[in-house]
Amino acid sequence: MENRCYIRSMAQVSCQTPLCDEWLATPRRYESGYARAVEPNSKGLIMPAEARRMSKILKRTVCTSITALNASGIEHPDAIITGTGMGCMENTEKFAIDLCKYGESCLKPTLFMQSTHNTISSLIAIILKCHGYNNTYTHGGGSFENALFDAWLQIKGDMIRNALVGAHDEVTPFMYLVMGNTHPEYRFVSETSVSAMVSSSKGSEQDIEIADVRILSRSSAEEVAELLSAETDPVIMLGVNGNDANDARYRKLLGSLGWQPATLQYKETFGENYSASAIGFYASATMLREGKFPDFMRYAGVLPENPDRITIINNPEGDTWTLIRLKKETSCGN
Amino acid sequence: MEKKRVFVTGAGIVSALGAGVEATCQALLKGETGIGRIQHLPTGHTEFPAGEVKMTNREMAQMLGLSYPHDELRNVLLGILAAREAVESAGLSTDDISGAAFISGTTVGGMDKTERHFMNVFDSEAGTQEAVEMKYNDCGTTTDMTADSIGRFKFITTCSTACSSAANAIILGANLIKAGIVEIAVVGGAEALTKFHFNGFNTLMILDADICRPFDADRKGINLGEGAAYIVLESEESAKKRGAKILGELSGYANTCDAFHQTATSENGEGAYLAMRKALDMAGISPDAVDYVNAHGTGTPNNDICELAAMERVWGHRLPHFSSTKTFTGHTTSASGSIEAVIALLAINRGFIPANLGWNTPMKEGVAPVRETITDTEVNVVVDNSFGFGGNDSSLVFSKYRE
Repeated sequence: MENRCYIRSMAQVSCQTPLCDEWLATPRRYESGYARAVEPNSKGLIMPAEARRMSKILKRTVCTSITALNASGIEHPDAIITGTGMGCMENTEKFAIDLCKYGESCLKPTLFMQSTHNTISSLIAIILKCHGYNNTYTHGGGSFENALFDAWLQIKGDMIRNALVGAHDEVTPFMYLVMGNTHPEYRFVSETSVSAMVSSSKGSEQDIEIADVRILSRSSAEEVAELLSAETDPVIMLGVNGNDANDARYRKLLGSLGWQPATLQYKETFGENYSASAIGFYASATMLREGKFPDFMRYAGVLPENPDRITIINNPEGDTWTLIRLKKETSCGN
Repeated sequence: MEKKRVFVTGAGIVSALGAGVEATCQALLKGETGIGRIQHLPTGHTEFPAGEVKMTNREMAQMLGLSYPHDELRNVLLGILAAREAVESAGLSTDDISGAAFISGTTVGGMDKTERHFMNVFDSEAGTQEAVEMKYNDCGTTTDMTADSIGRFKFITTCSTACSSAANAIILGANLIKAGIVEIAVVGGAEALTKFHFNGFNTLMILDADICRPFDADRKGINLGEGAAYIVLESEESAKKRGAKILGELSGYANTCDAFHQTATSENGEGAYLAMRKALDMAGISPDAVDYVNAHGTGTPNNDICELAAMERVWGHRLPHFSSTKTFTGHTTSASGSIEAVIALLAINRGFIPANLGWNTPMKEGVAPVRETITDTEVNVVVDNSFGFGGNDSSLVFSKYRE
């Protein structure tokens, strides 16, 4: 029989209070179109000397990874898999500025060494001394789902027992300015670091199951709608953000359903970036586990009483879609 | 899940050796390196030779019938050149492609284009139209552009683990086929030379101003290269149903992590050892049955000694034939895993073992790579190593096709 896949623990750094679920009760609100992440306190998670040498994204990554790991009861994950749209942007940018301004001499090796996308996954492996499977996906706004899919596939297929899966993106002020041209559909830009320990075994009765993960790379809204049903997908977490160009594609999907799901949203609270959907995943699993669905996370439709499942739909661009189905085991045992 | 067999039914390649599988094969047989003086990369560091693809972006775009924005992204042009050949050689139909996966490995993506626009955009505080030019340059977009120029793939993603990126793309493709998610996966990688990583490698002081000499006591470092290669992976059932020509079997693979340092390899080559060991275990092939190891062999003092240590842990002191074909192509970084996979398949199908050019002095007594191309030989099993920064180590095992 195929294995099942559960979320044992999660941790986030974003524009909300870091490394906790405080946003559920008291969300931070932002008026501007851009907010950097609230930096976590790395005390007890990273040695101070090491922390000083790390760029922002690496510090956040280590903080969310170690926090998730500590909460999972698993010391050494079988696999470390990361999704990141832009990788270590701050260092990449610094190296590129030096290169353009000062030419091809006097460049700093450390900036280059810590500029690649896989710096993140390998740093965690070095810290944890994990020799197992280690991979990094970088595919725009679907990078997180690619990483989660890989872990899910290998857990289902019994190739690994568990994995530390994360998605991390930093947005520098320069990058935010560029985004005005490259991503005019973004309403509120922020930063994301999410880590989750996923495993074939539960750590506690409350652990949420990842029932399905799908990468639907070249699919129309109608084709995605055909995969959904009122029974399996009564509550849908959408990547809507209030911008017409962005939301129209989700509306088209909802219009193709022929039934009305309850819908939720997260980008207003957590902002937009290439790893944003990882927060959609984290927020969905947290709300399911806690049984709390605050008003500011609701989008439309009537939420059923005690929802036991959420489907996360992400459409980062054009005809690229992803789908994640989360499920809470209820006491009646379905 | 592991019992399902995965075959290779198509291949495409472009590198310093030329465009196409045939040109690559001829250059390897003749022992002619593609590494030479830099012609295209706008760098002042011309003291370092490199394995450049000997075509301008414009020439490639014309050859492929492509225009803006593809013609400005060397990674995409190289990728399309190789992917088209792979898909055509496999004889894939539009329907085959719409049910297939496209997985590419890259690390610098469209950085070459970013470099051309970066300062203008930076100085203007991004207020100009020029900022839009940044939109196409991330790794994922270059993969999308490459994939979409071939057809409407149902699963597209990008692996980025530095110099093992393409090998990890191949591994994901095989896992998708074994899990029954797809029957066909076009997998590989592309990397164009950019000032960014050329200078990055230079800051690490691991570029050689002469032609590189992997596994030589006197080795000084890397010659960077560029290129792309894709192979078509296919389930047994699909390959047989289509009557596809089978080029070989991907019989084993493993992805491990050295977990030692961002840019250095551990002394005993732990990650490299585990990658080779686990890949052979999955293949169910004894180390003695390996005919050839296409080594990662970058030519840096650190990589080669550690890779050799790892090989000795697998084979003891009786190593199989091994060589680094980076002496032909340069180190094509993210693309090297698939470029060397195509070379491994050529070795199996054409019965030869390519030379490790320029080798003179043993690193230790009795340890020598293949000095001159061995022809007319039976090659049944090849191990293809790709080790990346961050200790992202992957090994692939290709075997001659048997019923």
